[in-house]
Amino acid sequence: MKRFIASIISALLVVITLFGVTSCTGGGGGGGEPTVDAEGNTIVKIMFHVDKSSTEGQAYQKRINAFNAAYKDQKIKAQPIFKARSAGASGYETELQNNQLEGTLADIITFDAPNTAAYASSGLLYDISDLIPKEDQDKFYSLNMYNGRLYGLPIQESSAGFFYNKKIFRAAGIDVSGYTAENPWTLDEFRAVCESLKRYGVTAVDMRIDATKDETAPYLLYPFIYATGGSFVSSDGLTASGYYNSAATAEGFEFIKGLIKDGYTSYAIGATDFFTGKVGMYLSSGWTIPDLDNKYREYFASRDDWGLLPYPKGVEAASATGSWSYAITNNHHTDKTAALELLKWMTSAESSEAITNATGMIPARKDVVKNYAPGSPEYTLMKQLELSGRERPVTIAYPTFSTTFNRVIYSLENGSVKDLLNSATNTLQDAIDKIKNRG
Amino acid sequence: MDKIKDLPNFRPNKKPAKKTVKEVIYYIVGIILSAIFIMPIVYMIATSTKSESAYAAGVGTLNMFLPDFAHLGTALENYKNVLLNYDIWKYALNSFIYAGFVIVLNILINGLAGYVMAKLKFPGKRLLSFMIIFLIVVPVETSIIPLYSIVKIMLGLKQGMSVLGVILPAAISIFNIFLFMQFFQNIPKEYEEAARIDGASTLGVFFKVIMPLSKPILATVAVFCFIGVWNDYLWPSMILPAADDGSWPLLPIQTALISIKSIESITTGEVMASLVITSIPIFVTYVAAQKYIVQGFGTSGLKM
Amino acid sequence: MTKTSIIIFVLFLCAFGGFVAYDLATAKRRKEVYRVKSTATAYLMLLPAIALAFLFILLPILYSLGYAFTDYYLLKPNEINIVFFKNFVQIFEEISEKGMLYNAIKNTATFVIGVVPLQIGLALFLALFVNRPGIGSKIFKVCFFAPVVISLSITAFLWEQILAPGEGGLLNAMLGMVGVPPHDWLRDPKTAMPCIIILSAWQGCGYQMLIFLSGLSNIRKDLYEAASLDGANWWHKFWNVTWVGLRSTIVYILITVFIGACRILTQPMLMTGYMDHTVTLSYYMYNSGYTERFVGESSAVALLMTIFIGGVTLIQRRLFREK
Repeated sequence: MKRFIASIISALLVVITLFGVTSCTGGGGGGGEPTVDAEGNTIVKIMFHVDKSSTEGQAYQKRINAFNAAYKDQKIKAQPIFKARSAGASGYETELQNNQLEGTLADIITFDAPNTAAYASSGLLYDISDLIPKEDQDKFYSLNMYNGRLYGLPIQESSAGFFYNKKIFRAAGIDVSGYTAENPWTLDEFRAVCESLKRYGVTAVDMRIDATKDETAPYLLYPFIYATGGSFVSSDGLTASGYYNSAATAEGFEFIKGLIKDGYTSYAIGATDFFTGKVGMYLSSGWTIPDLDNKYREYFASRDDWGLLPYPKGVEAASATGSWSYAITNNHHTDKTAALELLKWMTSAESSEAITNATGMIPARKDVVKNYAPGSPEYTLMKQLELSGRERPVTIAYPTFSTTFNRVIYSLENGSVKDLLNSATNTLQDAIDKIKNRG
Repeated sequence: MDKIKDLPNFRPNKKPAKKTVKEVIYYIVGIILSAIFIMPIVYMIATSTKSESAYAAGVGTLNMFLPDFAHLGTALENYKNVLLNYDIWKYALNSFIYAGFVIVLNILINGLAGYVMAKLKFPGKRLLSFMIIFLIVVPVETSIIPLYSIVKIMLGLKQGMSVLGVILPAAISIFNIFLFMQFFQNIPKEYEEAARIDGASTLGVFFKVIMPLSKPILATVAVFCFIGVWNDYLWPSMILPAADDGSWPLLPIQTALISIKSIESITTGEVMASLVITSIPIFVTYVAAQKYIVQGFGTSGLKM
Repeated sequence: MTKTSIIIFVLFLCAFGGFVAYDLATAKRRKEVYRVKSTATAYLMLLPAIALAFLFILLPILYSLGYAFTDYYLLKPNEINIVFFKNFVQIFEEISEKGMLYNAIKNTATFVIGVVPLQIGLALFLALFVNRPGIGSKIFKVCFFAPVVISLSITAFLWEQILAPGEGGLLNAMLGMVGVPPHDWLRDPKTAMPCIIILSAWQGCGYQMLIFLSGLSNIRKDLYEAASLDGANWWHKFWNVTWVGLRSTIVYILITVFIGACRILTQPMLMTGYMDHTVTLSYYMYNSGYTERFVGESSAVALLMTIFIGGVTLIQRRLFREK
């Protein structure tokens, strides 16, 4: 017994001491030379933000396998790393920063588009403006630009719109067939439909103003501010004062506030109320389509029972876009040829099609033709993206923008828009200055 | 020996008739209170039997606490989907293995430390006692960033080795050292002295005398280690690599559940079914060990 | 990182050695006798714990407290500059301008003041309630502990539906039956913090109930009998026997609940998000450190918070220490 115990303890001690010794690892990844494996293949590492077992992860894996088969002769080999973002952005970013510390940053990473400015300005991303020909760039609905330079290409696109309950609209005698992505309704027409729905006796629209805990509300509502001619930051992304608190921006928030004041929408709409037929319209992104198709058969038997309307148009037409993108990183590999090949492969029309077939999202490229029937929800989203898609504000302090936007929406009902926006502007400007002054 | 049975009954029960009335009131109050406290469990089980529409229809009414009796087929469907499609048992097994290692190491390492702090005299002890309190007090919210760097970069625990990154940080618990210390302080010296006279070493005394006397605190620490490992998701998700094709996944159950929840086609009912399944081991453990937990805290006579 | 850590380790050893030397030097004055063999055994047995605690607890904490004096920005881990007290100046500016940090301090104080007595009172009540023989009380005990072991994501999900605004919320629906108009519990600054306090107390009190139960089991039965013979009523027995007998347990619970309450993070995060009327200190730290990536500033808040909690804990220990 005694010897057994003694041996356990000494084993423990040895193990712990070993950890002290192994701490001599790490360091750079060997200068600017490309990483080469035993068979002479140049290794290109690519880090994805999804779980490998998810359908999206499987789709990426398939495209990587195809790449490796196609580039066998050129001796380039892609190596995927899957780092699921499920535990929250903090996990993914902690991984990124540790990879930077260790010098093991992957050659290509995926990242959420609003982070472009922060990542690019901190030197994480490689400037690919001159590597991707202009005519190729034009094939994308959106690009990850910062200060006029290109830093990333989107994987796939998303857009949002107003899902509506056709049964309610029919019963209330509201005709919205004229409002299409090509010919969107105006803000006044939007209010008129809300009024008819209110008169009919249902809550008119779920504007998701209660979804202020995460990115949902900013993602769905920012187009309304663009629609009234407002903006959030200057074009270089460094000034919020005079933009976020401008009169045109206030008008956009006032419009949303008006919907609350007039009883068209409220914070009290339950998350499932639209799905159980209590609400006329529901602002949401494309991923609500499969839910309506599959999960609520008792309320929405088929697509005859629901449809999708575009964002209403003010002085400008604007609709939500959002995507995760690929970027080549500024890691220790100075030769980006292999990474560029992989980037081109992953953003090719073929990959774009394969990946969106798996995810059900909209392809990032205009030349990937999906046979959506005109008027179908998918068609509306795609057309809207092409005609009026506007990305979220490009600023190095995007996370701060997101929390300030949420706080404005949260307090919109009783607060003064002017005061709320002034305070939001100050907070955002402080954060921008803090990052900027740090250099 | 069940200490609780010997406990005094506070309410003076003199007259039998009055006693019955009191009993009835006691049970009514108890049942109402219990209902308030097991609300989440009832809710979880009820929701796990529902389809998405039935779930949505029940929101905001008392129906959210009632199973969907009309369609019990849905319940079976939910549980079947979860069990067959998402490899839950593999992740659960992982969690059991991690918990096993953590419990053994935790008891050995912290038990030894607690024993030393409680029973031995050595220079530097006052500093260590102070540090125990300090480390319990200090907030750890920001320390996860350097901890990650220590595990990944300094110790280089990657790929398969990152399993150690789950186990080792969980194997040390200042709070458990504190618990052990308090418990051991109350064990009378006579036990040790008798063993010493028989020629046992300090380590021998710890394993042969102290440990057998410490079942309640061992059970307490083991149960809380288990609950801790079983419910942890953020840290493992940060440091464990994703599984390669065909190989055994490394993720523990809660981390896997988070990814399962984010699958878009999954229904609320299925999410709840998976939560019900994963809550069972915790409950069984707790119910089985609760007698010891009370004793564990009790005999240690916690003092700060 | 490795080099820095080794330096910290050496410094730690030196400081530790210093204390050991001090202890040895003052041994005579304190009438302590240290034996070489016992000291060696002690350190040998402490070694695994000290090694792991140094690596996984102390080192991360020292780093994160050290970041308080730097401009660490999460996206630039290779460029960390020492800025001395700049972060602290910024913190005091934000407090004086009544910014988010000011709200965080205010809300955390509200939470601590509310939850500490509520949770302890509730736990004591439940402990007294189940502290009797019989299968019924045993079942109740298991039930009361349930929220402690159920993962917070489920309880938050449930409470969100209970407290939901409008008629869709269960609480509003039930109050509606007796004619109370619906209320937006979490949006109204007057009710948001109380709701979070109640749900936290509900969630956590089962744990303290167990500790109270064990405290109760240490009170000698004959004290109650003696009190009964003296004709004491229920209240006298509670006050003179139970309360006195639980003294050290209460101090322990008071300190641990206080520390836990100061660190409240998940409940406001899951229930309302980052809002003026519910933001807490830990949430502020989480948001500025992870979401906004200002690790330096977040660490500075953590450092101040550590000093504050540590100070209050020491005062509590002094005040309640048994004579």
